[in-house]
Amino acid sequence: MKQKDTQQQDSILFAGIDLGTSRSSISASNLTREWIESYVGWPKDFISLQVVGKPVLFGSEALKNRLSLDLCRPLEHGVIKEGIEKSEDAVKEIIKHLIELAKPSPEQKIHAVVGVPADTLKVNKLAIRKAASEFAHSLMVVSEPFAVAYGMNLLNNALVIDIGAGTTDFCIMHGTIPSEEDQKTILTAGDYIDEQLYSYLTEKYPNSRFNKNMVRQFKEKYSFVRDVSGEIHVEIPVDGKPVIHDIKNEIKRACESILPAIIETTTEMIARFDPEFQIKIKNNIVLAGGCSLIRGIGEYLQNALKEYGPCNVTHVENPLFAGSDGALKLALDMPVKYWEPL
Amino acid sequence: MFTMIPKKRELKMRNAILRGIYEDNLRIIGKHSNALSDKAPSFLKKMFLFFFIVLLAVLGHWNYQNLSLFSEFPEKQITASLITQEPSSLGTELQQLPAEKSVSPSDYKAFLSGPDIPLSRVFGLEVKTIMIDPGHGGSDSGTAGKMGTKEKDIALDIAKRLRERLKKYGNYNVLMTHEQDSTLPLNKRVELARLGRADLFISLHLNYLPSKPINIIETYYFGPSSDAKTLKLAERENIGSQYGLSDFKEIIMKIGDKLKLQESKELASSIQKVLFLNSKKHNGNVYNSGIKRAPFVVLLGVDVPAVLVEVSCLSNREEEIELNTESHRENIARYLQAGILDYLNKGEKSYEAKRHTTAR
Ligand SMILES: Nc1ncnc2c1ncn2[C@@H]1O[C@H](COP(=O)(O)OP(=O)(O)O)[C@@H](O)[C@H]1O
Ligand SMILES: [Mg+2]
Ligand SMILES: [Zn+2]
Repeated sequence: MKQKDTQQQDSILFAGIDLGTSRSSISASNLTREWIESYVGWPKDFISLQVVGKPVLFGSEALKNRLSLDLCRPLEHGVIKEGIEKSEDAVKEIIKHLIELAKPSPEQKIHAVVGVPADTLKVNKLAIRKAASEFAHSLMVVSEPFAVAYGMNLLNNALVIDIGAGTTDFCIMHGTIPSEEDQKTILTAGDYIDEQLYSYLTEKYPNSRFNKNMVRQFKEKYSFVRDVSGEIHVEIPVDGKPVIHDIKNEIKRACESILPAIIETTTEMIARFDPEFQIKIKNNIVLAGGCSLIRGIGEYLQNALKEYGPCNVTHVENPLFAGSDGALKLALDMPVKYWEPL
Repeated sequence: MFTMIPKKRELKMRNAILRGIYEDNLRIIGKHSNALSDKAPSFLKKMFLFFFIVLLAVLGHWNYQNLSLFSEFPEKQITASLITQEPSSLGTELQQLPAEKSVSPSDYKAFLSGPDIPLSRVFGLEVKTIMIDPGHGGSDSGTAGKMGTKEKDIALDIAKRLRERLKKYGNYNVLMTHEQDSTLPLNKRVELARLGRADLFISLHLNYLPSKPINIIETYYFGPSSDAKTLKLAERENIGSQYGLSDFKEIIMKIGDKLKLQESKELASSIQKVLFLNSKKHNGNVYNSGIKRAPFVVLLGVDVPAVLVEVSCLSNREEEIELNTESHRENIARYLQAGILDYLNKGEKSYEAKRHTTAR
């Protein structure tokens, strides 16, 4: 990372923020890195306030107290969530909370770059800026997959596929700031796998009680595509007694269910370019986001895309912070004069 | 291998990207980069100034819609005049709509001239499926505001909100012609409405009035129009249609389908009323353009009641800023929903009672 001169480093805290559909993170120039689940909850009434003891709760703490709270996951489907006017406030609270977690010293100014799903950006730029501007002195909003690409120095000849919870975001880099055509968001991602897995399991074991949370945990623990050795067995209570269930096949089917849409979108997006550039991009596909942790997903995509010539798929080292690290790198690289008017 | 040249190139690339991000964000807050305009060669500026003055002069003389732009689309113009030509035959017939006079046998007269019950209900036709058509999409952005807000993005966002609302209301199957910002020709949309067996079709758009700094709301249903402004708009919204002239003729002939026409008109007025009255609360500068007939291809091809709503206006700066807030888009969806429900439930006692007690 580029070093700014020390004087500036002291008076300004640079921060990269990744506003995700399920998890949001911050990476700051004072080397803090924190993440929370993108849930915000407000006590439903006075009694709830007494119970939870705080005016607003975040992430797992909010989830734990969900019965006492009005819970909001503001970016659930990649757009600021429909139907709840509170979601703008929720975005505000998440940003505020993340910046607090980065522990700026009181006299420090904050210069932040915020990455959001590409689709959110289209209609919510101003809303996001408004939500963040109270807590940052100067602020830039960028698309999330672009921040990932920038952070990994993939400025040219590359395709980043960020497979998150609510959305999968694509971004093609060709040496300039990506245009709208270079970016695409689809809604098949981690949440979709959860839904599929839930329905496969309830179909196979109609007498067992599954819930969404449980299913997500199975996924995160056992996810794979293609093949893995060994069995996948889990214990689930049936009529009060723990019973062993074989869920291997369902895990595989659910995880693979998001791939056709991802392959189709990839081919579509690449097809717009001339053959020479297509080859270059295909040799530089990078997976990011929580679902890039699915075992075998890189190989699967590589194989599927090979049909039209060689292809190389890798993944980011740390999907949890790739977005906020990239945003931080952008913040640090940004010339001082660009910060002022914002 | 590490040579100077690629490194320098990379640096340049990086700087261009950083600058791009900066300018993008300036645009969001409605400022413009001074540095950028400084770079424009002065002859370009002069040329711009020249055209600007010419444009002002032209606008001073004519209304913008009378500009000769029309002649660039000879085929469309023919279409337009074809539709406006015959007020004698088709036009008048369509205008004297009231079904109770022209179609119904006298036995039905009392029945039909009663309170404003939608005809479909009288005939036991129930609305089950509502198709929402977010205008434009993909490579067709529609119009755009000065800050870069695109018609297609706002229309899609409002459409999704409307869908959620109608779904929550419960009784309807709500479909969309597209949900992922895809390019979709107009005839494809029409086809989707048919395949989805839609009972109502609602197309959402945003207006753009280059000459007036106001916000305007209007709702259209299909029919011939002789108003130049309307035809101009229809021309803009019909771009991307793959219908030929002959299709137009044939379908216009088929519009003896009065049920559809009357219903569309009722739906249009119901939506227009709620949307306008409520929008006025937020923006005093909003004008009620009322309901109008227009030859929009999307409305033409659909066999069921169909309307096209211009829900807001992107040329109005305050409105563009507002449209970038979630709450405003949600509100528009709310008003659309109320307009649709008012139409669907007209004459139903329990609904009307509820409508009067709950502030929506
Ligand atoms: N090991 C794993 N295997 C499969 N999915 C995972 C794993 N770890 C996390 N996930 C999923 O990744 C998604 C979260 O990814 P993330 O990139 O944080 O999303 P977002 O940016 O949309 O908030 C969730 O659906 C989560 O269940
Ligand atoms: Mg993410
Ligand atoms: Zn339009």
